[in-house]
Amino acid sequence: MNDLSQIEKELRKLRPARPSPILFERIEEAMIDCRAGASPARQPERLRYNWLSLGFGLAAAAVLVLFAAVKMERQESGKEIAQTSREPEAAPLLNRAQKSTSTDKFVPAGATRLVYNTRDEGLQFAGSSGQPLRRMRYQTHETWQWRNPTTGASLRVSYPSEEVVLIPVSGQ
Amino acid sequence: MQNLVSHEDWKSCFSEVAPGLLLFARQWVQSAADAEDVVQEAFVKFWRRNHKIENRALLYAAVRSIALDFIRRDSRRARREATAVGDTDDFIEPQFEFEDDTQRALAEAIDFLPCEQREVLVMKIWNELTFAEIAGALGISQNTAASRYRYALAALRNTLQLQ
Repeated sequence: MNDLSQIEKELRKLRPARPSPILFERIEEAMIDCRAGASPARQPERLRYNWLSLGFGLAAAAVLVLFAAVKMERQESGKEIAQTSREPEAAPLLNRAQKSTSTDKFVPAGATRLVYNTRDEGLQFAGSSGQPLRRMRYQTHETWQWRNPTTGASLRVSYPSEEVVLIPVSGQ
Repeated sequence: MQNLVSHEDWKSCFSEVAPGLLLFARQWVQSAADAEDVVQEAFVKFWRRNHKIENRALLYAAVRSIALDFIRRDSRRARREATAVGDTDDFIEPQFEFEDDTQRALAEAIDFLPCEQREVLVMKIWNELTFAEIAGALGISQNTAASRYRYALAALRNTLQLQ
């Protein structure tokens, strides 16, 4: 076997193993089920990794909501002090409350999304459309950061994330 | 062009493509039974979507996608199968029908090809897909498909020459 065409010739002589007769019966049954409106075969658990990403996303959102709630509560308590203090000696207290409110202010300082792995998982069909879709899986690490300009304190939330993106492709 | 859905005798269509599809699916699963599960799911899905049987690239893309989902669904099983591949003493169901020892040696050499070369070889030799169709199914360029094919042939030639 000196050249590639000879190898090709030998390969073509090899015959792949035949499918079992049971496979034909199984497919026939699946097609009948399909006609009757039932699912033809097990559906893959495509959402498993998406749920993981969703979980991380929700956790991050919960942290943000909590942070916002604490901030609003502090602002409200500062206003109450300002409204009830009518005496002249309350002025330093009001100033202190206003100062306290301003020091509680965190401003967004940055957000990064590091994609450390991208995987092309080939073509697939999704939903009821017959159009092929390219399935790309991105593994990322997201970081959100806030900073208090007065005190210099900072808050940072980091979490891993995995995203599956289906990109429509034109037919051959 | 003929749609599978309008084809009353789908069995003749399937008989024609099934051996190649099973061989293709066996790259990712070690047992013939698992390969048949994958091919069944892909073929029925293809049939449901009323695709043309001539559009084999889509059929192969479906097999590939379902096979990858299959091994992802059961990672423990995939690990066990990967271990089985490394253990030559284990029995692995043959993927070809042999006629002599030369063919057996050739079939064994195919198993040692890198996955990306093997899948191109299987699609080209036993399914007679064009490089354009292979490129479409795998999401690679035609040149890449062609070069992987040539590398596979060269690797097989070298392996057989050493024996």
